[in-house]
Amino acid sequence: MLEIKGLSAFYGNIEALRAVDLWARAGRITTIIGANGAGKTTLLRAISGLVPVRYGEIRYVGQDITNLEPHRIVKMGISHVPEGRQVFSDMSVEENLMLGAYLRSRRRDGAGIKRDLEMVYGVFPVLEERKGQAAGTLSGGEQQMLAIGRALLSRPRLLLLDEPSMGLAPLVIKDIFSCLKRLHEEGLTLLLVEQDAQIALSVSDYGYVMRAGKIRMEGEARELLGREEIRSLYLGEEAATEGVGDGDQV
Amino acid sequence: MGFNIIFNSTGIINFAQGEFSMFGGLFAYTLAVSLSLPLYLAVLLALVITALIGAFMERLLIFPLRRASVLVAIIATIGASIFYKSLGRILWPKEAYKVPEFTPGNISLPGATISRQSLWVFGLTVVSVTAVYLFLNHTRAGKALRACSVNRLAASLVGINVARMSLYSFILAATLGGVAGLANAPYASYSIGLFLGVKGFTAAVVGGLGNTFGAVTGGIFLGLLEELIPGFLTVVLGVSTGYKDAVAAVLLIAVLLSRPQGILGRGVVEKV
Repeated sequence: MLEIKGLSAFYGNIEALRAVDLWARAGRITTIIGANGAGKTTLLRAISGLVPVRYGEIRYVGQDITNLEPHRIVKMGISHVPEGRQVFSDMSVEENLMLGAYLRSRRRDGAGIKRDLEMVYGVFPVLEERKGQAAGTLSGGEQQMLAIGRALLSRPRLLLLDEPSMGLAPLVIKDIFSCLKRLHEEGLTLLLVEQDAQIALSVSDYGYVMRAGKIRMEGEARELLGREEIRSLYLGEEAATEGVGDGDQV
Repeated sequence: MGFNIIFNSTGIINFAQGEFSMFGGLFAYTLAVSLSLPLYLAVLLALVITALIGAFMERLLIFPLRRASVLVAIIATIGASIFYKSLGRILWPKEAYKVPEFTPGNISLPGATISRQSLWVFGLTVVSVTAVYLFLNHTRAGKALRACSVNRLAASLVGINVARMSLYSFILAATLGGVAGLANAPYASYSIGLFLGVKGFTAAVVGGLGNTFGAVTGGIFLGLLEELIPGFLTVVLGVSTGYKDAVAAVLLIAVLLSRPQGILGRGVVEKV
C-alpha cells in the first residue's frame, strides 16, 4: 500500500533520514521502533507532507505522493495521528471530530459523516460522554482517543500513528492498542511508530528498527520480538524506564 | 479584529492593517466624489478593492515568505505599510479628503445631539462583529480558520489548506480595516493608517491579542478612555484637551507592562 524508497530528509543541514526503504502492506500493521531521535517521527511527517523530502520517493497505492501538500495527502486516504495528539484544545470534542471530516463536508456527505461519528463514539464511548467539553480539558488517554477518532473521520485507508502510548498509564495503553487492533480487523492498514517496542511488536505483523535516521533491522514482528539484540536494546531499555512516565496525563 | 484574525491564523502581526483603513476611506472618496457614483455603491466597491489589496498582499508578500520565520513576515508588513502610505500620498496628495456622510445631519435628543454619522458607525460595527462571529462559528471556512488559529499542524493534518486560510484571513482583515476607514469618515487621508493602526493595535492588545472579540471590548474601552480622560484633565487640572490621541499610546504601554495577555486575555484551556 505504501512504498518508500531511498528516502532522505534534512532538518537544516542535519540529515534526519538516510536512504530509508520501507513497505507497509495493505491490511497489515507495520511498526517502526527505535529510541528517541532515531528519525521515526520525521519519517511519518515526510509521508504526510509536513517535512520536505530531499531524495527518494514515496508511493501510495501506486501513485507518487512525494512532497505533495499535507491536505492533498489526507485527501488520498492517509491520515496522521501526530505525536503529542495535537487536539484543537479550546474547541469541543465534537467540533474536533467534525474537523476530522473537513474534506468530506464539502461533498455534502452528511449521512456518511454521521455514521462515522457514531462509529467513533462506539469505539470510544468516553468521547460521546464528553462531546461538549473543551478538548484541552480531557485526560491524556482521552485526548489520544480523540486524536485517533478525528483521524478516522477523514475515512482513511492508511492510518499513521506517532507514539500513541506516550505519557499514558499502562492500562490506558492497553485500551488504546486493543482499539487499534479492532480497527485493523475492520480493514484499516496501520503504520505505527513506537518507543514501547514490546506492545507495538505484539500487535504488529511486521516491524522495522530505526537508529540515527536509518533502518537497521526488519522482520516479522514475532521474529523481531524473539531476537536477542532487540530484547536487550529496546525491551531492556523499556524495563529500565518503566514506572517513570506512567501518569495518565501529559 | 483585523489584527487578531491575521495573528490567529498566521502568527503574523500585520502592521499594514491601518493602511487597509486608509484605502477604504480614500477609495470611497474617489468613487463617490471624483467619479460621482452613488454613495452605497462607492462604499461597496471601496471595500471590494480593499479586500483585493489584502489578497494581493498575501499572495505577493506573505505567501512567498511562508517558509521564513514569522518575524521576517512581520517586518515585511512594516515594509508594506510604508509602501501603501507612499502610494496613498501619490494618489491622494492632499492632507485630508471629505467623504460625504451617509446621511448628513444630526439627531437632537433631549440633552444631547448625536450626528447621524455616529449612528452609522455604531451600526456598521455591530453588523461587522456579528458577521465575523457567524462566519467563524457557523461556516465551514470559518471553522477551518479557527482550527488554524488553535493548532496549525493539526489543521493541516485534517486536510485544511493552511496557505489558503492565510489568504482568507488577509481578505477578511482588509475588509474589516476598510470598514474601519469608512467609519472614520468624513475625513480620510494618506496618513490616517498609522493613527488608526495604533488605535486598532491597542484595542487588540487591551482585549488580548488572539482573542478576536476581546478586541471589540478593548476598542470600546479605549474609546471611552479617550473621551473621559481629556475631559477629566480639562475639568480638574484645567489642561487643554489636545492629548486625546496620547491615551491610546499610554494605555498600550500600561497594558503591555502590567498584563501582556490583555485585560480579557486568558491562558489556553489545557490540562497540564
